[in-house]
Amino acid sequence: MIHGVKRDSTGSLAALDPADEADLIARCRDHQRAAHDELYHRFRRQVAGNLYRVLGDRSDLDDLVQEVFVIAFRGLERFRGDARLSTWLYRICVNVALGRIRTRKRRPPPIGVDDLDAANADPSLVERPEMPDRALERREEQARVYRALDTLPPKKRMVLYLHEIEGLDLKEIAYLVDSNPVTVRTRLFYARREFYAALVADAAAIAAATEAAR
Amino acid sequence: MRGHVAPHRWADAAAGRVGEGERQTMARHAEACPACAAARMRVERLAGGTGTFAAIRAQSAPELPWDSIRARVHWDVSSERRSRPTGMVAIRPRRVRPWMWAVLATTAAAAAGGALYLQHSGSARAPIAVAEPVPAAAPAAPALAGVVSRLTGDVLVDGIRRDGDRLFAAPLPVGTRLATGDGRIDVQLGAGTAASLGPRSTLELRRVDATAIELVVEGTVDLEVAPRLPGQRFLVLAGDETVEVHGTQFRVRHDGQGTAVACRHGRVAVRDGHGEVEVGSARRVEVAAGHAVAESASLPMTTDELALLAQATPVTTPSWGDPDAALRATSTLEVITPGKRAVRVDGVERGEAPMRVRVMPGRHLVEAADSAGRFKRVEWVEVGAGAETSSVPVAKVAAAVEAIPTASAAARRRELLAGLDRVRLAHCVRAMTKAGLGETYVQIEIAVDPAGAVGFLNVIDSDLPSATATCVRDALADVHFAAGDAASWRERIDL
Repeated sequence: MIHGVKRDSTGSLAALDPADEADLIARCRDHQRAAHDELYHRFRRQVAGNLYRVLGDRSDLDDLVQEVFVIAFRGLERFRGDARLSTWLYRICVNVALGRIRTRKRRPPPIGVDDLDAANADPSLVERPEMPDRALERREEQARVYRALDTLPPKKRMVLYLHEIEGLDLKEIAYLVDSNPVTVRTRLFYARREFYAALVADAAAIAAATEAAR
Repeated sequence: MRGHVAPHRWADAAAGRVGEGERQTMARHAEACPACAAARMRVERLAGGTGTFAAIRAQSAPELPWDSIRARVHWDVSSERRSRPTGMVAIRPRRVRPWMWAVLATTAAAAAGGALYLQHSGSARAPIAVAEPVPAAAPAAPALAGVVSRLTGDVLVDGIRRDGDRLFAAPLPVGTRLATGDGRIDVQLGAGTAASLGPRSTLELRRVDATAIELVVEGTVDLEVAPRLPGQRFLVLAGDETVEVHGTQFRVRHDGQGTAVACRHGRVAVRDGHGEVEVGSARRVEVAAGHAVAESASLPMTTDELALLAQATPVTTPSWGDPDAALRATSTLEVITPGKRAVRVDGVERGEAPMRVRVMPGRHLVEAADSAGRFKRVEWVEVGAGAETSSVPVAKVAAAVEAIPTASAAARRRELLAGLDRVRLAHCVRAMTKAGLGETYVQIEIAVDPAGAVGFLNVIDSDLPSATATCVRDALADVHFAAGDAASWRERIDL
């Protein structure tokens, strides 16, 4: 069993011990409205956060959160309990995000500078006031990361994101992307080469453009 | 080392996945190669506890319209369940195989050939009278079911989120499906007949005509039903159970656990395919999922349960001919508050604002509850007459202002304490002191205006009997304040 692949950065609301979780799932399968509400309230921020970080933008985020929960409520009958509920929801998030990456025609500004307000940042960062130039630099760095991610095919992008940014191991990633660890390792091998090359090329292009502007 | 260092190797080196010898070789190369040095710096910035990856990982979810999302999820899931007959498994449509396309194409070609032959050979036959093409009948306008009489929170109409303006501007047609998030919506269906859909519930106005009113509910709905037309039935379909109404006010709750019907007054019959139970005034019945109605007996309701039903009475307007006429004769009052706050209109509790409620044109008294739950007058509102068109006059009301401690409260507080008639206070609590009950207190909330007049004085907490608390309050009310700054604050006074 894979335990707690994704933690809830907003607090412990999503934390449930296995017995309570099993009870919640049973009540949801029984179509109890209160149980559906509880599941939604417990996991909504975690789901939104996962989607937000994977995709790097918040456009249509509410629609995607809706999609995740609709899939979850429909699929609870088939949930075998071989992972924690939070992990299973994360898996749905990954699939919904993959679908989103594949279908979006026009790329919105990745992790736009205006999109990342202080309220959404890590509380520890908020408590430690950041100089404006440092904050801008950090946002630009994040934008570069998402630009480099955008150059990868969806599956490679997802594997790379989960490994390099979320820090998950191959087995966890294999569960989330419904693949096997060997395939994940192969994808990751190529994805890392392409990602870091794209990142360095992007930085070099920006440096050249800045130099030309002078 | 031949060539440049691949960028991902800098990430490997930063993660400790490169041997010491190779790491030193890479470092030496970077010292001599500005491009690789830049790449190294770029990649190394990403990793580590304060790197870019960690910053991305630390981002939490942005604020979203959670209530609206919940309502949409609920709508999707419950619509699907409703459309699926009990016990049936969804069947995936079969894929049309290539050979089927070939058969279809052949059939279509044969049919076209046959039609051409008939057309050409028809000239030799007696003419056949051809009917003039009948103009397609204009689709009949859907019958109207009712009008929205109260709204709080988000509501989906047929799966689409609607704002208050649109909901109040037009009648709801028969067949409308409503779904609520954390809010509530009231729909008036006739003179004195209305339904109030509770939070996280759905209601379908399946049929509203002279012979029957049929509502399909999932979740909680409170109904008030006036005597109906002769022969008109009023049915609420809740899963397998049907609730038939005989003039009453009642609540139906239907979810995965079963169906519960509570009747405040009047009488309803709850039935399924096997039997029926009658529920009279101040009684309730609960039918567990999978059980027959006949297995359940009606039980008396407690006073608290009855009070809850009374609070949930749907809003109705006295003017009713049909939905269109009601729309023209009434207006909308919108009460806007910064947070959720109980509201009274003309002395009747209408639930929590922000909300919209249908009212008759004229002057209406709006009161809002403060943090202690006491209603305070906000203002009299003049609501215009209903419009002929779809635009409905809306009066916006500012929220009642909480008693917020102000900077000038300290000065006013000193005035209060200095002006207290301690002898009178001692007289108030004399009986308790004699009984050995010392160290009592009273907590008040008080507001003083610039002229020194007391705006309000409320005892919000005390361990005193009510008569003693009133005596203390009267003593406090006699404290005189000089002209100065307005202030409101809370004070605990030990006696």
